[in-house]
Amino acid sequence: MTPTGVPGVVETLEAHGETTLVVDPARMIEACTHLRDTEGFNVLVDIAGVDYLGWGDKEVAGYIGTPDGRDLNAAGSQGYRRVPEPKPKRFAVTYHLLRVSDSPERVRVKAWLDDGQEIDSVIGVWPAADWNEREAYDLFGIVFRGHPNLARILMPDEWEGHPLRKDYPLGGEPVRFSGEV
Amino acid sequence: MLPLVSDRPAAKAGLRSERILWPDRGPGVFEQELESVEDALMTTTVDKALAWAQSGSMWPDTFGLACCAIEMMSIVSSRYDIARFGMERFSSSPRQADLLIISGRMTHKMAAPARQVYDQMLEPKWVIAMGACASSGGMFNNYTVLQGVDKIFPVDIHVPGCPPRPEALMEGIVRLHEKIRAGVPPAYEIRGVAE
Amino acid sequence: MAVMPATRIYEGTRIPSPCPTILEIDPDEHNLDDILRINFGPNHPSTHGVLRLVVDLDGEHIAGIRAVIGYLHTGFEKTMESKTYWKGITYPERIDYVAFQANELVFVMAIEKLLGLETPEKATWMRMCLSELNRIHSHLVWLGTSALELGAISMFWYAFRERDLVLDLFEMVTGVRMHGRYFQVGGLAEDVPEGFYAQAREFARYMPRAVDDYEGILDRNQIWLERTKGIGPLSAEDALALGQSGPMLRASGVDWDLRKNMPYLAYDEVDFDVPVYPNGDVYDRYKVHMDEMRASARIVGQCVTRLEEMRGAPWITDDRKVVLPPREELHTSMESLIHHFKIVTEGYLVPEGEVYVAVESARGECGCYLVSDGGPKPWRVKFRAPSFAALQATATCVRGTAVADLIAVAGSLDPVMGDADR
Repeated sequence: MTPTGVPGVVETLEAHGETTLVVDPARMIEACTHLRDTEGFNVLVDIAGVDYLGWGDKEVAGYIGTPDGRDLNAAGSQGYRRVPEPKPKRFAVTYHLLRVSDSPERVRVKAWLDDGQEIDSVIGVWPAADWNEREAYDLFGIVFRGHPNLARILMPDEWEGHPLRKDYPLGGEPVRFSGEV
Repeated sequence: MLPLVSDRPAAKAGLRSERILWPDRGPGVFEQELESVEDALMTTTVDKALAWAQSGSMWPDTFGLACCAIEMMSIVSSRYDIARFGMERFSSSPRQADLLIISGRMTHKMAAPARQVYDQMLEPKWVIAMGACASSGGMFNNYTVLQGVDKIFPVDIHVPGCPPRPEALMEGIVRLHEKIRAGVPPAYEIRGVAE
Repeated sequence: MAVMPATRIYEGTRIPSPCPTILEIDPDEHNLDDILRINFGPNHPSTHGVLRLVVDLDGEHIAGIRAVIGYLHTGFEKTMESKTYWKGITYPERIDYVAFQANELVFVMAIEKLLGLETPEKATWMRMCLSELNRIHSHLVWLGTSALELGAISMFWYAFRERDLVLDLFEMVTGVRMHGRYFQVGGLAEDVPEGFYAQAREFARYMPRAVDDYEGILDRNQIWLERTKGIGPLSAEDALALGQSGPMLRASGVDWDLRKNMPYLAYDEVDFDVPVYPNGDVYDRYKVHMDEMRASARIVGQCVTRLEEMRGAPWITDDRKVVLPPREELHTSMESLIHHFKIVTEGYLVPEGEVYVAVESARGECGCYLVSDGGPKPWRVKFRAPSFAALQATATCVRGTAVADLIAVAGSLDPVMGDADR
C-alpha cells in the first residue's frame, strides 16, 4: 500500500513490487518525519548513495525474452542496443525504510543531488542514520547538514578522495595477462 | 637407482614431508633449496637443540582478520588440535608471541597497527601469511587491500587457499617447524619486504 | 505482537545525544582528571576481528566510548561493479564470513528479482536448508568465541566440535568448508549429493542434544549469570530507533523475524518457533541464540524430508539466457554453444532497474540493494550489513557498565567486522 500524503514527494515509482518515493532534498526531514510518525515506518534499514556518472554512456542491449517467452512490445525486448533512461542528477541518496508492526511494509525514499549539493541529515528522525550517513559521506562525498560527527568511517582519516565515485579508479596492482573482467 | 632420501642432510635434520609420501623419490624442489641453504649454514648441536625447542612450543599471536581467522580458530578445536604441536596458547600480547599468523585481508588502514604488532614481537619471530588475501591480495585487487602482507614485513611461509583448510594451515606450520629445525633463519634475516 | 511506532524517540531513551554512537563523558558524574583513555585496539584479543573501541575509563566504569571501524574495508561494492554477475557471486560470501550463505543468497535473490526468474522447488528448499545450517554455524562460532571471552573457555571446544559437523555437510554439498558459492542465479550450482540426506537428518536429530549440553554448562552457572544478566540492556524502542534487527531485536522483546513476518523462500511452509525474550540484556541475547539453534535444527529436518521426495528434480532453471546449458548439450546443439559462449564471455544481461531484497541472516536483516543499467555488470551493489547496525548500539548498551561488561556486550552484539566494514 503506497504511502500517500507524504510532503515533498516529486514522483512515486512502482517496480518489482517495491515503492520508491522520490523526494525533494530540501524537504527530506519533513517527509521522513511524516513517514515515521503517520505512516509508522519506525526502522531505517539502510542509506545507500549511488553515483550515476557515466550512466547512458555505454549502449546496453535490451533484455532478450523472459522465462515465459518474448514480449515483443516491451522496449528493448528485441535485443536491439539502446541507451538507458538518463537520470536527472549525478548522485542519488536512497533511504530504505521498514515498518516493524503487524502489517509490515518497506518503502524506498530517494533524493537526487548534484555534486556538492548538501542534504539535511535525518539523524533527528532515526538515530540509526548516524553511521549510514557517515558512510555515504566517506564513500561518495555527500555532505549531510546537521550531522553531529560527519567524519570518515571506513577509509583512513587522512584518505583523499571518495572511493565509490565512478571517476575514482578501482586501484590495485596491474596483473599480467588479465583483461578487464 | 635414485639415492635414498634418508642419506641426505636435510632429512637428517628432520625434513619429513616429501619423504613420507614417496620414500624412493628423489629430492623435491623444497629439499634442494633447503640443502643449498644448509650447506652454507653448518648447524651445530647447540643450534639444533635451540631450534628443536623453538619449534616445539611456538606461540602464535592472535591476529585474525577475516574468514581465514575462523579456520585458524578451528585448528585450535579438537578435531584439528594444534595443541599437539604445543601451539594452543594464542598470545594476545605480541611481546610473548613467536609466530604471527596473518589470517585474512590486510587493508591499508590496518597495515600500520599490523606493523606495530610485528615490531613489538621479540626475535626470533616468524610470519605465516595464511590465505590468498594475505599472500597476494587474493581476489581483491583494489584501492584498499594491501596486495600481500609481504609488502610490510618479511614472510616465512605462505599458505594458499581461500580459506585454506585447517589441514593446509597445519601443513604450513609443520613446514615452518621443519625449516627451523633444519637451521633456516627467520625471514627477516634472509629476505626483505616485497616490492 | 504489537509494537507502537516510536513517535517520541528521545523521551526516556538511553541513546546518547547529540551523536547516538558516541558516549561523551558527563562532567557532572565524572571528574575529568580521573579519566583514562585507553584503546581496545584493532588487534583484539577476542576474536571479533578488527574492531577498535576508544574507551574513557573512570576507574572501572566506562565514562565514554567511541567505536572505530574500517580496518577491514575491502571495497567489495566497488570491486563488484567491475565483475560480471556470475563472477561477482564469489564476493558477497566473504562479506559476512561467518554466516556466509546469507549474503550469497541475498545477492542471488536480488538478481533473480530483477530478472523475474523463478527457481525450481528443489533449489528453494535446498537454499533454505543450507541457510539454516549456516545459521547454526554462525551461532556456534558466536557461542564458542563469546563464552571464551567471558572466561568459559571450554565452551569453545564444545561449540567447534559441532561446527565441524556442519562444515562436513557443507563440504559434502559444495566442495569446500566455507564460502561454497553454491547458490547460482536460477537455482543451485549442482545437484544435491545422495549422502547428504542421511547425514543432514542425523545432524538435525543430534543438534538439540548438543544445545542441551551447552545450556547445561552455562545456564545455571553462577559466574555466567552474574556476567550476563542485566548487562547491556537495550529497550525495544531504542533497538528500533537504532535500526537493529535479528537476535538483538528479539532479545529486546520485539517479535520480528523476516522469516515469519515477511517470508521468503519457503519459510511459510515449515514449522518453527521464533524466540522472543523481554529484557534486552546479554543473557536474553544468549537465550535467543540457543533457541534459534534448536529451531534451525528443526527446519533442517523438515527440509531434508521434503528434499528426499524431490530426488531427480531439476536444481536450476532452464532459462538458457542466464543459466549455462548442461555440458552434454554443447556437443549437439548450436544454440547451447552460443548461449554458453555469451554467458561466459560477456555475462548474462540483467534488465535496468533497482531492487532491494532482504533475508534474515544469523545476525539480523541482511539486505542487498542492486542497481542495474541493463548490462552484464552491476551498476551499484550495496549490502545492508546487520553488524554495522549492531555496532551503532554499542554506546547505548554500555552506558553505566564496567570494563569487564564491555567485553560481554561487544560479544553479544555479534559483530563480524567483514560485515560491518564491507
